[in-house]
Amino acid sequence: MLRRNREFVIGVTLLTIVLAIAASSIFAPYPSNDTFVVPPDVPPSWAYPLGTTSRGQDVYWQLSAAIRNTLLFGFTVALISRCLSLAIGLTAGYLGGFIDRVLMSINDTFIVIPLFPILVLFYFVMRDHMSWFLLALVMACLGWSYDARLIRSVALSLRAREFTDTARFSGMTTTQILLREHLPYVLPIVFSTTMNNINWSIGLEVTLSVLGFTNIDTPTIGVMIYWANQHTAMVAGIWWWIAFPVGLVAITFIGLFLLAVSMNEYIDPRSRLSRLRT
Amino acid sequence: MRVLRRLVLVWLAALWAGGAMAQGTISDLPRKETLIAENPEGTIKNPGWFNIWAINAGGQSTGLQQLAMDTFWYIDPEHGVDGVWDNSLAAEKPIYNADFTEMTVKLRQGIYWSDGVPFSADDVVYTVQTHLKNNGLRWSAPIQVNVAAIDSPNPYTVVFKLKKPNSRFHALFTVRWNAMWIMPKHVFEKAADPGKFDFNPPVVLGAYTLHSFDPNGKWFIWHRRADWQRTTIGRFGQPGPTYVAYIDPGPPDKRVIAQMNHDLDIIHDTSPEGMFTLAKQSKTSHGWFSGFPYAHPDPTLPAVIFNDQLEVFKNRDVRWALALLIDIKAVSMASYRGAATISAIGVPPTGTTPTYYHEPLEAWLRDFEIDTGTRKFKPYDPGTGAAIAAMLRPSMGDQIPTDPAKIAAAFGRGWWKHDTQAATELLQKAGFSKRGDAWYTPDGKPFVIHVTVEGDGRPVMTRAGSMIAQEWRQFGIDASTTVAQGTMADRRAAGDFEAMIAWSVETWGGHPDLSYFLDSWHSQFVAAPGQPQPPRNWQRWSNPDLDKIIEETRSVAFDDPKGIELGRDYLKLVAREMPTIPLMSYNVFTVMDETYWTGYPNAETAPYTDPVPNWGNTRYMMTKLKPQP
Amino acid sequence: MPGYLAYFVRRLGQFALVVFIGVNIAFFVTHATPIDPVEQTISAATSFGSTSPEAIAQMRQSLRELYGLQGGLLEQYAVFWKRVAVFDFGPSLSAFPTPVSVLIGRALPWTIGLLFVSTVLAWVLGNLLGGLAGYYRNSRLLRLAGVLVMGFHPIPYYIVAFVLLILFGYVWPVLPISGGSQMNLAQGFDFRFIVSVLQHAILPALSLVLVGIGGWFMGMRALVSNIVTEDYVTYAELGGVNRPRILLSYVMRNALAPQITGLAMSLGGIFNGAIITEQVFGYPGIGSLLVDAVHAGDYSLVLGVTSVSIVAVSAAVLLVDLLYPLLDPRVKVH
Repeated sequence: MLRRNREFVIGVTLLTIVLAIAASSIFAPYPSNDTFVVPPDVPPSWAYPLGTTSRGQDVYWQLSAAIRNTLLFGFTVALISRCLSLAIGLTAGYLGGFIDRVLMSINDTFIVIPLFPILVLFYFVMRDHMSWFLLALVMACLGWSYDARLIRSVALSLRAREFTDTARFSGMTTTQILLREHLPYVLPIVFSTTMNNINWSIGLEVTLSVLGFTNIDTPTIGVMIYWANQHTAMVAGIWWWIAFPVGLVAITFIGLFLLAVSMNEYIDPRSRLSRLRT
Repeated sequence: MRVLRRLVLVWLAALWAGGAMAQGTISDLPRKETLIAENPEGTIKNPGWFNIWAINAGGQSTGLQQLAMDTFWYIDPEHGVDGVWDNSLAAEKPIYNADFTEMTVKLRQGIYWSDGVPFSADDVVYTVQTHLKNNGLRWSAPIQVNVAAIDSPNPYTVVFKLKKPNSRFHALFTVRWNAMWIMPKHVFEKAADPGKFDFNPPVVLGAYTLHSFDPNGKWFIWHRRADWQRTTIGRFGQPGPTYVAYIDPGPPDKRVIAQMNHDLDIIHDTSPEGMFTLAKQSKTSHGWFSGFPYAHPDPTLPAVIFNDQLEVFKNRDVRWALALLIDIKAVSMASYRGAATISAIGVPPTGTTPTYYHEPLEAWLRDFEIDTGTRKFKPYDPGTGAAIAAMLRPSMGDQIPTDPAKIAAAFGRGWWKHDTQAATELLQKAGFSKRGDAWYTPDGKPFVIHVTVEGDGRPVMTRAGSMIAQEWRQFGIDASTTVAQGTMADRRAAGDFEAMIAWSVETWGGHPDLSYFLDSWHSQFVAAPGQPQPPRNWQRWSNPDLDKIIEETRSVAFDDPKGIELGRDYLKLVAREMPTIPLMSYNVFTVMDETYWTGYPNAETAPYTDPVPNWGNTRYMMTKLKPQP
Repeated sequence: MPGYLAYFVRRLGQFALVVFIGVNIAFFVTHATPIDPVEQTISAATSFGSTSPEAIAQMRQSLRELYGLQGGLLEQYAVFWKRVAVFDFGPSLSAFPTPVSVLIGRALPWTIGLLFVSTVLAWVLGNLLGGLAGYYRNSRLLRLAGVLVMGFHPIPYYIVAFVLLILFGYVWPVLPISGGSQMNLAQGFDFRFIVSVLQHAILPALSLVLVGIGGWFMGMRALVSNIVTEDYVTYAELGGVNRPRILLSYVMRNALAPQITGLAMSLGGIFNGAIITEQVFGYPGIGSLLVDAVHAGDYSLVLGVTSVSIVAVSAAVLLVDLLYPLLDPRVKVH
């Protein structure tokens, strides 16, 4: 793959850069929470390659801590919610009937609950005991429903196909059919929905942070933008405070996207073959 | 592909068409005769509601209280157009009987409502009786608590009979931001329920009537009355702006952009960075001070408010130690970027307060001593204000004043020293101990403090709180910030906090009487732990010496100079006891644009009122504003 | 289709059930708020004025009665459902006594207008680009377009919105940056007002579309790349059918079904409002209504807005479920 697939290479490179930055946060010379440890508002220069913020923090070290926390958050949410939506979507689509209806009713209730008031209320009730993991858990529990439906609709079409009947007649159990026959069809969609999900959770985290409904002491990308906002950085001309976090998030995402797309192609044998052909 | 190309063409065409038909800021109104100001209430949920006597049913500072309402007296937070005290609907000051159980008000003649009906005592009597009879109106409670009956011996005199002696009853009708406004009897008596009547369009006593408003609550436009001489500010001349618009301009960065585009004449408040940007990039924008710190110091005193009912904060030495751990210079830089006016004592350094309190107490403060347990120590550093000015001079140059009197006015005088050694001694005296890097309370538990801050709604105070928590943390106390966001009011009232950045001191500004806030600090009003605390004694502090001062103040008249002496006694008491740690005045970055209007108030040449446009006193600004030629 | 009518009726029943459960959950969650509307009102009313503590205690009592907060949770629950049966959500607690339905009614048209147009536009553009990119794998132009579109997608919406604001509102000020229409222009169906509304909607819509395209693009591209390897596509190519026709009639049509599901859900999601759009562009809508209501502890208004949103999203899901069997002949309804 490394040899033939350029997208894969670019994706891996980008992600390595991002992960390296996140990992370097261990070596930070100041606690990520402290302010006024360096002169404020210094533009990118030799001493401070990414500049400093209006709060007297080095943008690079803040960024490394922020991207680490944001990635952890995004991955946690995506992982938990993928498992949930796969399990429920495949089962409902394949088994149909009563189980399908029950699961879909539960699913619909979750889709229908408006996210924002629940998250805000959750924040208010938890307040001092709010932690990132708890928020990730809540968001995962609220974020599986949309994709479960998508997976279920694919599963519905798959169930009507001939190879499913073949598999059933040859004596495979439901679980085996779901895992071995249907999963590979569903995986490409799952990958793109994972990407969507990571993006959605990071986007929601940024929205909540920009509005101030999070723990503003722990740096994440959303919290960095929140503080830049508080100091009206954009009008004040401190563009490096916003540009670098945004740039890094964009790189992360593009890297993940390229990775997912190329792995998609690789997993599906027909597209791998067509690539070899061309 | 073709579809795509066509779509792009359509977009571009639309953009060009839009540009060609670009509309001005306001349709059909002359921009040169219109003043556009910011309404900090933001977008009004229920804009078609102008009945200000129903609580929070609609907007208040949409221009309604600033331009349209009127009542007996106004006290200016600054120096006033013609002195601090203005007799508005009243012809003279309030007349009390000997034991303060009766207040007589002589009303001004020749004032007319905007629909031509003359103003008389009937309107006052109707207003007060309506509040006596109905429970849910904005001023029902204070009227029902204080007033037994109201009489009107002739059409221009009213006599209030009070239920118990109250030497400051007139404060209810004296505007310091707002006050109890007078209702038009001939309009309200036709409404079935005064609490459910929308009063649209409003019939007003002020010089401006409602011209139009946005059904989605984003703008309100007021029009000067043709018969403005028949209103109470007619005495000061014709109000300059023909039209006044109050709008919701959005988040702080957007307000800066709006003013740079000359679409917003008065910004109510923005971030310090926004202010500095405007000062640098716009020749026509200026603040209250022409140079640093630009901002107008409101007569409010942000402080670190301890919950004095908590065990850990009951000891005065602990509170003093925490005060000595604060480096106010760093807090000023972190919160206001240095544009703060600090105050070590329990009154804000604004208006006329420095003359009555800060200057006279300076000598006492320099000699003031506390006992740290191992030595006697003088905690006051008179040069802190000058030190902040010196810190800023290298980067700000000649925007920083050099004259000591100007520095004192802009940055404040002295503050408590930043002394970790003395703090250590005080904590040890109180029984606290340090093991390794962390401090422990006398019962052996780790010393933890959560500093509650408001969050987005008050960004500068949030920054100050973060800095203070950091300074305590660096000393070894486990301090962190908690963002209360929308729950601030609930938590503050419930006492659900350990320390918070808020204010429990607010003064008139122009008048030295402190009972405006101090009366509510009496121990009779302190709630039991867990019960809601009425404003303003958020720190729930009770002290017998304070009670004596308050009771004596109640027995002297409003203008009696004895009141100022009692005020100084209060300040010495809270300096010794430190129930809260005073920080600075609440600096508001009000920015005024001189492109279309001139004559705004400013600190140096025209301190006739405060420039902050959501005060009832803003109407005086209208009489001084003139259009630019 | 034989069992369709029975299916229809069953789904309708499911819809009613889901709405009922959803609104109940919303009721209990909003009433669990630690923000007390009475406390908020008192604090707003007394934050600047001079007050006496005795007056405050009295005010608190009167407000409790006025707002109908006297009874316990169960009583309020009963009152709520009695009202909702006639589509009345009661008075708003932070703008008493204006009814919640009036407040929502004023803000809703703006939200629906802006978000409907932006969502549909983003869907159409995203699917078109995604389909093209997935089919014409080797086109460099499309790959570049893909990278651009994907580039916008992860940028936090707030930044995109604000940069547009600065670009077109300050650097090159041709577009209005605040409000739904020009100041002092009366609302009505006349030419000037409509032009003003369109002008004020351009920037918010542009920001929403730029950020929204990415999701549809990715989804469509993944679906198309799956279908492209199917036998019937290869057969059509070998058979000489021209490529654009294959793309439109063979590939995209089969890929559309899940995307239509997605569109229906997004349209339902319109009723959640676009909070940050409204904040940045000062656009009137129900998003900021909701945030204000949550801050003020105004249960009635929060409940009203969330109930509207619940019904809308449920209806969208219902529509999708009813249409799907009609679109994809392979699905059997039973």
